[in-house]
Amino acid sequence: MAEQQLDLRRCSYFFLYDGSKVRQEEDPTREGICYFYPEETPIDKQELLCGQLAGAVRCVSELSSSPAHVVRLRKNKFAVRIKDDFLWALGYSVDVPTVSVVNSWISSSACLFLQWFCSAKLPAEQRDFGCSMGSTIDSTNVDPLLLLKAALILQTCQRCPLVLAGCILFRGRVVSTQMTPALTRKVMVQESETFVKYQRHGSASSSRSLDEPVSLVPVFLTTSELLYLQSTAADKKNKLPIRKPRLSRTLSDTLSTDSEPSDPGSSQSSLKNSCSPDNSFNPAEPSNSFLPNGKSEEGQDDSLYHSFHTNDGDVTDNSVSSLGPEENCINGETGGDCELVVLDLGEAGGGTEEPRDGGLRRSSDHTLPSCGTGAPDTQQQQGDSLVPMTLYLHRVKGLVLALLVEMRFLNDAAAMEEVYHSSLAALNGLEAHLRSVTPGPPGAQGPYIFAHFDSIQSTLTSNLSGRPGAAHERPFVRATSLLHSHFCNTETLQEAIIRNAGAAVYGTRSVAQETYFIQHGGSVRNSGIPNHQDSAFSLPTKARHRLLKHGVNLL
Amino acid sequence: MKCLLIASESAEVLFYWTDPEFQQNVQQQYGASQEEGHELPAFEDSISTLFAPIIISCITMVDRLGDSYASFTTENNHIYVLHQFDECLYIAVNGDGDEDEDDLRRKIYVMKKMIEVLFGMVTLSGPLLRKELRPQDTEQRARLWKQLQSLLETYGHLRENDQSFLVEAVERLIHPTLCEQCIEFLERRLVQQLNSSGERAGEEVMHAFILVHTKLLAFYSSRNASTLVTSDLLTLIIMAQNMYPSSTDLEDTGPEDAESTSGSGPDVFYTPEPSPSEGDSDSSSGSNKLKKVNDIPVFEFVDPDIQMAEDSLQTLRVPPPDPSTPQRVFLEVSLKEGLYPMMPHSMYCLPLWPGITLVLLTKIPNNGLAMSIYVYLEAFAKLEKRLRDGHDGSAAMRDLRGKLDKFIKALGPSDIQSVPLLNVWTEFKSRAFAKGGPGFTKDLLPWCKNMKTQLCGIFRQCFLTDSGSVDAPRHLSPGLQERAQTLVQEKLMDWKEFLLVKSKRNITMFPGLIHFICVDRSTGQMIAPSLNITEHNTSELGKGPVAHFIKRKVWGLVNTTRSYLQKGYSTVTLRDGDFYFCYFLWFENETGFKLDAMDLPVLPDDSAPIGMLSWDYYSRNHQGEVVRCFELLTIHLGIIPTEIILQHCRQLASKLWEPSRNPLL
Repeated sequence: MAEQQLDLRRCSYFFLYDGSKVRQEEDPTREGICYFYPEETPIDKQELLCGQLAGAVRCVSELSSSPAHVVRLRKNKFAVRIKDDFLWALGYSVDVPTVSVVNSWISSSACLFLQWFCSAKLPAEQRDFGCSMGSTIDSTNVDPLLLLKAALILQTCQRCPLVLAGCILFRGRVVSTQMTPALTRKVMVQESETFVKYQRHGSASSSRSLDEPVSLVPVFLTTSELLYLQSTAADKKNKLPIRKPRLSRTLSDTLSTDSEPSDPGSSQSSLKNSCSPDNSFNPAEPSNSFLPNGKSEEGQDDSLYHSFHTNDGDVTDNSVSSLGPEENCINGETGGDCELVVLDLGEAGGGTEEPRDGGLRRSSDHTLPSCGTGAPDTQQQQGDSLVPMTLYLHRVKGLVLALLVEMRFLNDAAAMEEVYHSSLAALNGLEAHLRSVTPGPPGAQGPYIFAHFDSIQSTLTSNLSGRPGAAHERPFVRATSLLHSHFCNTETLQEAIIRNAGAAVYGTRSVAQETYFIQHGGSVRNSGIPNHQDSAFSLPTKARHRLLKHGVNLL
Repeated sequence: MKCLLIASESAEVLFYWTDPEFQQNVQQQYGASQEEGHELPAFEDSISTLFAPIIISCITMVDRLGDSYASFTTENNHIYVLHQFDECLYIAVNGDGDEDEDDLRRKIYVMKKMIEVLFGMVTLSGPLLRKELRPQDTEQRARLWKQLQSLLETYGHLRENDQSFLVEAVERLIHPTLCEQCIEFLERRLVQQLNSSGERAGEEVMHAFILVHTKLLAFYSSRNASTLVTSDLLTLIIMAQNMYPSSTDLEDTGPEDAESTSGSGPDVFYTPEPSPSEGDSDSSSGSNKLKKVNDIPVFEFVDPDIQMAEDSLQTLRVPPPDPSTPQRVFLEVSLKEGLYPMMPHSMYCLPLWPGITLVLLTKIPNNGLAMSIYVYLEAFAKLEKRLRDGHDGSAAMRDLRGKLDKFIKALGPSDIQSVPLLNVWTEFKSRAFAKGGPGFTKDLLPWCKNMKTQLCGIFRQCFLTDSGSVDAPRHLSPGLQERAQTLVQEKLMDWKEFLLVKSKRNITMFPGLIHFICVDRSTGQMIAPSLNITEHNTSELGKGPVAHFIKRKVWGLVNTTRSYLQKGYSTVTLRDGDFYFCYFLWFENETGFKLDAMDLPVLPDDSAPIGMLSWDYYSRNHQGEVVRCFELLTIHLGIIPTEIILQHCRQLASKLWEPSRNPLL
């Protein structure tokens, strides 16, 4: 985990610059810098980047009568947003596809920043695919019961009325979540950020430490996010015992006693009382947390807030619309925004075949309860406000239990105790099990690699190892990132094969899916001249055949 | 909304080109910030003011961060691409959505190439080039900028409409017999006669070629001439097209000439009447097919005069003051002694008929001077580099000292002003060689630069300024040019109408194959069916939705495959809508043996565009051996089974170059 944290800094810069502070010639540029990541950047470099970028972006925007949104330098690329005097810029290394830079910005960064105070880091493993193309999946053979166990832990925690929803992460991947993909991703970001801070400073600076492995971090939800969570939480609590999907049925034997004591009625009403959006938003609070430089003057808060949440704030609009599965499947542009990593249950190398694959597929669906149900309120309301919440993080080695809890939870020692103790043993057990499923040695993956992205379910299924250094996977990842950009930009493109001297990669997409496939050990000698016996051109057939075993049907 | 701007480091505009829309936009913006009652400032000032913040910021970023802007994109999809060459910053803008970043970057590189061909070694000195591009005299400046603007528009037009400029390779007319006859004619009759004439004023014809629109009918190089590189030849074709535009391209036929040129039917490709069942599966590439094409009677001859008058490019064109004055061009010459870029030549563009042009390239008398200057420039550049790296560069300079002394001395009596050069050289010597002087240290760097500027100045005096007196003409006499023109006209009189039509129809197709382009990169030549004809109704030379659709697909495909090539992928197949696209790049050795696929470099996004005009991407060595590079692009109907498509591709790749192995280049 730590290795991933350090290695995967694909976001090189993130800053917020307030031009109104630098009006006169003699005004130092640093006055305008509200936030700059990485914070250790020398101040003169911060000034240079902020000042120059702000000037040039403004000039271009005026010339074109439209705000500039991407600035490419030779060594970095920036997604930028201008709102009044403010300039937000998110810098990436140049190898990230521009489509991902823009998408990721629109979908998350600004919101993320606002709601989850200042985190420029994106989830692990996204480097190779571009931000919008998701993370990878363990190729390990995980017992589906472990996933059910994780789901069970979450449900148990939800018995506490102050707990809204949660997710369980293992080494940067989702084991189980009750939240929307977009929200889960934010939690993942926040979690990893907190973890890094914790490691660096000995304790999470902005969180109150309850117990060694537990931290509580103030976060903010939009009201629509909150409403959605409330509705699904209520939905779940009401309906779980009644409408049982096939998998739940197997689970229900163990579940029934556990879930019995919870009282759906009372929890629902208490949620309503405490989380009503009207009385909970306080503009001073988010600004305190998202401006670590300590600059949080009144007027500024207001404009920051307004810049993304009042006018036709496309940023939030898009972010929320990504909750809706319809948008995702139709619009390829945003299709990759909110994917999640799920633990792949498929056979690693496809070597041994087991008959339970179909069942496994469904079980990974189960980890994403929100998918396919449709967001109740995909329409972003004007003036959607922020609601302060608390993120409860309980870390057991590589495993993290993350719960969105109400503010009152902080002061409710009994509730905290209960949540902590009710989940502790189960988490330890789950961690031990997941850890024991060691990933196979690199290179021993078998004859092919694939990645399959489903934009309706927002899942990425793959047999990539997920280790950043896996050399034999790099050609696949590189090609996939190019093809993904191409698919995003060309609506009519259905399939593609690209080949260099070393490898041929096949990519295909339908309305809702994107799939990439590479077969190792193709023809060694090949001149590149057209030849119908060339193995590269049999990739589509092979992919179709191989991926059936992973529950991927390429028709 | 398009614009191309060249600016100096001090944000001075050295050249700009805008389309009317951009110009209007700038004027509006500038007007808005002006107080009422004031006149609009000159457009040049407005554009300079508006772009200044970007230019200055760009320079600052390079200086202080070692990084610079490559591009900006706005939410309404305007694109700004920036590239700096030495002291000149190029900015290309598009607000139409019809050019992407790569297109703009290519435009920038092509502009740079054209400036090199027009100004030669003067481009090696920032200050001199600045003066050259921005003459003090406003009238002169306007004339020069108009010429450059016109060239850029011609290029843009060709890039948009001509397949050979799409893939940056020369297209030939496929008619081996006539080609051979013409080459023989150029050699035996034309070039020999010109070079033995007393009216040639010391010039010597090195290359002669005949263009039918942009296609090459025949090309002859005299025995002592070096090969004309593809990028130079393509640039010369742009210049010839600029002088005598042929507006018979697909796009050009406006609605008003519908009666004469265009119909409404689909006119992209023609499904061949002869099916491949005639016993020869490779018939499409066989010579029998070619004969068949030739046998097709000419139904209509488009009078290009009509179209010429309607061509918008003409309005911008500045006619040369005296039609008999050749255009000075600077071309690469490779000799036994080495490679000399930017050697002065004179280019004579003699129109035979509208659409058909004879081009003569001559070596000018004091050519040797240019070679010497280049040698010295290179020596000082090397010295600069060594000094900068902290090495001692004195050895090479000692060898050169005597030669340069003699060179400057020889310049003395001529009418070239060599005193400043002599002064700087004297100063340089006293610093570099004098005992107790500073010697070969970094302190010498400014003097190296100074020497380079002076040498470029001499080059400029000799080859760029029109110092030739009236009584001593420095080029082929008008009479001689006229005779050459008449000679070739007589030769081609019977063929001209055939050629003009032939230039629009070349090759027959497989069933299901919609289009292909095959390029031999080692010779810089391409073969492709023309995009603007129909088999069944040759009077329909115009445009139709299908023609445009296919054309857009072809252009898009070339861009796409280039972007994959940039990242090292040499084979690409795409199923896109109803089509199946293939792209193959492969290498062969001299004997035609197919080499194993090579690892191609992965280039950064802002690398020089892949092609021939800006740099020859395709020239590669394989184990010390020069290899030949080929490319094949095909578009098939998507319903054709992949196996059949690949079989087509294989046949095209292996057979296409066979029938046309005539000694053209």
